[in-house]
Amino acid sequence: MEENQKKELLELFADKLTRAARLYLDNCTRCGVCIEACHVYQSMPETRYTAVSRAQNIRRLYEKYFKLSGKIAPWWNEAVELDDAWMDRVWETAYTCTGCRRCMTFCPFGIDTGLIQSIAKLLLIGSDREPKVLTMLADVSISKGRNIEATKKSFAQAVRNLEAEVIEKWRSEGGEEAVPLDVQGADVLYVALAGKHSIVPAAAIMNAAGEKWSLSYFEAVNFGAFVGNPKKTKEIAQRIIDEAERLKVKEVAICECGTAYRVMKHMTGKHSFNVITFVELIARYLREGRIKLDKSKIDARITYHDPCQIARQGGIYEEPRYILKHLTDDFVDLQSNRRASYCCGGGGGLVIMGDKEFRMKSAKVKVDEVKATGATILATACENCHSQLSDLMEYYGLETKVQFVSGLVADALVQETASRKVPAATSEEPQLQLTAKAG
Amino acid sequence: MSAHAVAKVLDLKGLPCPMPVVKMSQEINSVKVGEIIEVHTTDPGSLADFPAWADTTGNEVLETKQREGSIQIFVKRLK
Ligand code: SF4
Ligand code: SF4
Repeated sequence: MEENQKKELLELFADKLTRAARLYLDNCTRCGVCIEACHVYQSMPETRYTAVSRAQNIRRLYEKYFKLSGKIAPWWNEAVELDDAWMDRVWETAYTCTGCRRCMTFCPFGIDTGLIQSIAKLLLIGSDREPKVLTMLADVSISKGRNIEATKKSFAQAVRNLEAEVIEKWRSEGGEEAVPLDVQGADVLYVALAGKHSIVPAAAIMNAAGEKWSLSYFEAVNFGAFVGNPKKTKEIAQRIIDEAERLKVKEVAICECGTAYRVMKHMTGKHSFNVITFVELIARYLREGRIKLDKSKIDARITYHDPCQIARQGGIYEEPRYILKHLTDDFVDLQSNRRASYCCGGGGGLVIMGDKEFRMKSAKVKVDEVKATGATILATACENCHSQLSDLMEYYGLETKVQFVSGLVADALVQETASRKVPAATSEEPQLQLTAKAG
Repeated sequence: MSAHAVAKVLDLKGLPCPMPVVKMSQEINSVKVGEIIEVHTTDPGSLADFPAWADTTGNEVLETKQREGSIQIFVKRLK
């Protein structure tokens, strides 16, 4: 590695050394409590797949360049030189870890592997070694934001072409648009993904609830966050923030996409609007009696996979379960659930990057838990998890069908002829107990 | 019938996010510079995603066509 590149990388490293980062890098006691916590290690028990080993790849550089002990006695804390060979270890830290932060919940010091991983991702970007597909996708989102005016008309036409499919799930009242777009003063701006599966069920549900909503022109997902580029993350998120402010909406509801929710809720500061996940919105409609579901539509045992970014990192545990209990009397949790849920194995950009064998093998622990429930439907609330879980079910030969919560709800909506208003929830209905946010 | 001389047809209907754009990026290398790929999709978002992808990667979206239930996008490899 050339000296000036090394210098640039160490400057990037130094920029990431906040008080929290120093705390996490300084305080690991190598107690090993985190080892069994990682789904990758559980599925493929190799030392390099432990949280602590991944962190050590970065910590040993920190010792060398940012600690006095590393300078005067580098052998003491195994300080290492930053060179091309060590960058392979940096890659392992960044991309054999999904950033799910399960290990963090078990670590007695709460050491945040995700934050240490973000240093690794930045070093890879700085040395032009990051996965190019993630950078390309981030650049596509940015270009889309800059040129949105040129495609607004054709997008509006495509959305109009979906209306019949929405109406099939919920007949709107005369004169109402099934998929409203660009509605000034809407209460909710719904931010979907590119695919119609992320628009049609959500539209039917919001129409059933009589919501005053508008579809966003932009896709929710933020590839800047996947690749770990803070500048691109901000620019991609800003497109949605500007739209929400222009339309003066009260809430931005993020579709079933975990990363999109985490970025908008936790990484973009305070806004004039509230940010919620779509599952929270559905739970609200049920609680307020604004939609009603027909339990007889599903004759199957359902289990639920907690998407890491929505659950462990967002504290949304009970709402999806509350919704699913309106759809079946046979709901069973996975053995490891809520805060302790194992990652699906596809987070952090892995689903997109293409190393299917690693993705499949590293998430076997999840498959074993799904199998043990005997469920035939595995519900989830994240596109990335849905893709990974579907691949897992196929790879391991399970019949279990992976379904979005919104899709299940939209197919069970009860259309009442007299009025769109439905009776309020009775005491016999599932109760929503909100838990404290994940720490 | 398409007015474009198409070298390859790609069916990207029903793929999860962001696979349509990822597949497009992979498949563009399977045709020669100057040749055209015809994409079939059902994603409304692809109407902005594909021009943005072409802009980012130095290729060209020649035309998009819509009918209820399907979207056709004609992409020319420029480099
Ligand atoms: S963040 Fe998740 S994938 Fe990464 S080391 Fe911790 S448990 Fe493993
Ligand atoms: S549990 Fe925490 S302190 Fe113990 S080895 Fe893991 S990261 Fe280090």
